[in-house]
Amino acid sequence: MAEKKLSKKALSRSFWNWYYGHLTCFSQEHMQTFGYLCAMLPLVEELYETKEEQKEAMQTYTAFFNTEPQLGTVVVGVTAGLEEAKANGEGIDGEVINGIRAGLMGPVAGIGDSLVVGTLIPILLGIAMGLSTGGSPLGAVFYIVAWNVICTLGMRFLYFKGYELGGKAVEFLVGEQAAAIREAISMIGTIVIGAVAASWISITTSLVIIEPSADTVGITLQGTLDSVFPKLLSAVFVILCWFLMSKKKMTPIKVMLLLVVVAFAGVLVGFFDPMLTY
Amino acid sequence: MSISVWQAALLGIFACLASMPGMGGSVIGNYTLGRPLVGGLVVGIILGDIRTGIIAGAAAQMVYIALVTPGGTVSADVRAVSYIGIPLSVLAIRNMGLSGEAATQMATTMGAAVGTLGTVLFYGTATMNLIWQHMGWSAVEKGDFKKLYLVDMGLPWISHLVCSFLPTFVITLMGAQMVDIIKNYLPMDGLAMKTLFTVGSLLPTVGVAILLKQVVNKAADLLTFFFGFTLAACMGVNLIGAAVIGGFFAVIMYNIKLLQSRKPVVAEGGGAAYDDDEEEI
Repeated sequence: MAEKKLSKKALSRSFWNWYYGHLTCFSQEHMQTFGYLCAMLPLVEELYETKEEQKEAMQTYTAFFNTEPQLGTVVVGVTAGLEEAKANGEGIDGEVINGIRAGLMGPVAGIGDSLVVGTLIPILLGIAMGLSTGGSPLGAVFYIVAWNVICTLGMRFLYFKGYELGGKAVEFLVGEQAAAIREAISMIGTIVIGAVAASWISITTSLVIIEPSADTVGITLQGTLDSVFPKLLSAVFVILCWFLMSKKKMTPIKVMLLLVVVAFAGVLVGFFDPMLTY
Repeated sequence: MSISVWQAALLGIFACLASMPGMGGSVIGNYTLGRPLVGGLVVGIILGDIRTGIIAGAAAQMVYIALVTPGGTVSADVRAVSYIGIPLSVLAIRNMGLSGEAATQMATTMGAAVGTLGTVLFYGTATMNLIWQHMGWSAVEKGDFKKLYLVDMGLPWISHLVCSFLPTFVITLMGAQMVDIIKNYLPMDGLAMKTLFTVGSLLPTVGVAILLKQVVNKAADLLTFFFGFTLAACMGVNLIGAAVIGGFFAVIMYNIKLLQSRKPVVAEGGGAAYDDDEEEI
């Protein structure tokens, strides 16, 4: 029996199905499962002749799947490689594939969230917002081009790299080197998030400690805080929100509602005042 | 300024494409069309005022610069922020005659308020998709695989017609009247509007905190956050600069971690070999 080899066409089809369809049919119960099924279908149809074999192969991918979809492309590539190996009878079965898939979901989501959503997108948007100051469309256009080019090429690379490496990619993704890369990337992410917070959050108080009179300059709480540490209030509120969500396990919506209460109380006592008029 | 039926319909279609989970796919949909800055451009083109669109979009973007949806929990809905919030902000800015800081604040608050309320649209869409997924399971059961494409990429349009198109269409169409009502009943120096604008300035902290929760595993990691914060707040480093400095420390971190993980291997090699190396140096 000739060794089965996936055609470039089927792999490409599988990639684009994932690229477009990974989240289109999202539900809380089966997040990216259907996107995954659509991505595997062209491959399964090429590798297996009979309906029964196809059915059995597709059954593997009916298990729950959810990860960070951009970086997660590598997982789809890996399973493409594994499915090919399985079709050639290399001692891999559906259970092995699902074990690898389930094992990769978490780590990939962790790296992806901090790398793509936490680092790449804020940096691109930060540059774009600078370019769009005053209402220029330039920044928005820059973001559209930069993001789509980086993301599309990146996802394509990950898919085919994953396919090439197959099972070996697992070592690469969850091994010690991967752990070191993960720590390093999350370090960039954390530093950038800090810079994002300081650059784009602006919480100020309008509280006056000593009213200015004819011959003296008044003292405002904001001025005092700025001399202690610039943007101190922004930092305090970020840490407060982080504390409530990660230590007190509050949901973001609850934290937001709490902030509405804080804002209301703050306005009442004169701590906050946006000082706007029509 | 008001929004015509055709403009509202176009906004509705973009809402379908840009949602999380949306019909544009997450690369072009959620992460491109769904970003409020890009939404500002699209809304600006549709409404014929690109400048105000971008100003409103950039303001709303500030709240959601760090919008992440870990495990499918959302704190804001991008279709509502970009295609309901921004059009309403543009109307408000134009019809109330706001400019500068006030225009930005209005768009920030409007985006945040609509975005938060809009999460109901997210859960609506996701819940409705259960129907199509149910059909998908029986298709898999029968081996009718071609139907999977319809389930994944076709039928969810129906969820979006109900949860994205209709709400966007109706709300933006009535937008001009709503802005008038707000203007007449809620004065800017009144308690309600002051609170609303203050909330607008507090809300970005939640977005950042969600991200922070992802990357901070132990209290010491907070110091890394403050390192980045200090770079920007005290030293005026911009985001690209912070990324470069972060990259430098990341390389150091990577090497340290790699050395740590290799240590046991060296010990296994036996003490003698280790001593030999020492002497050679």
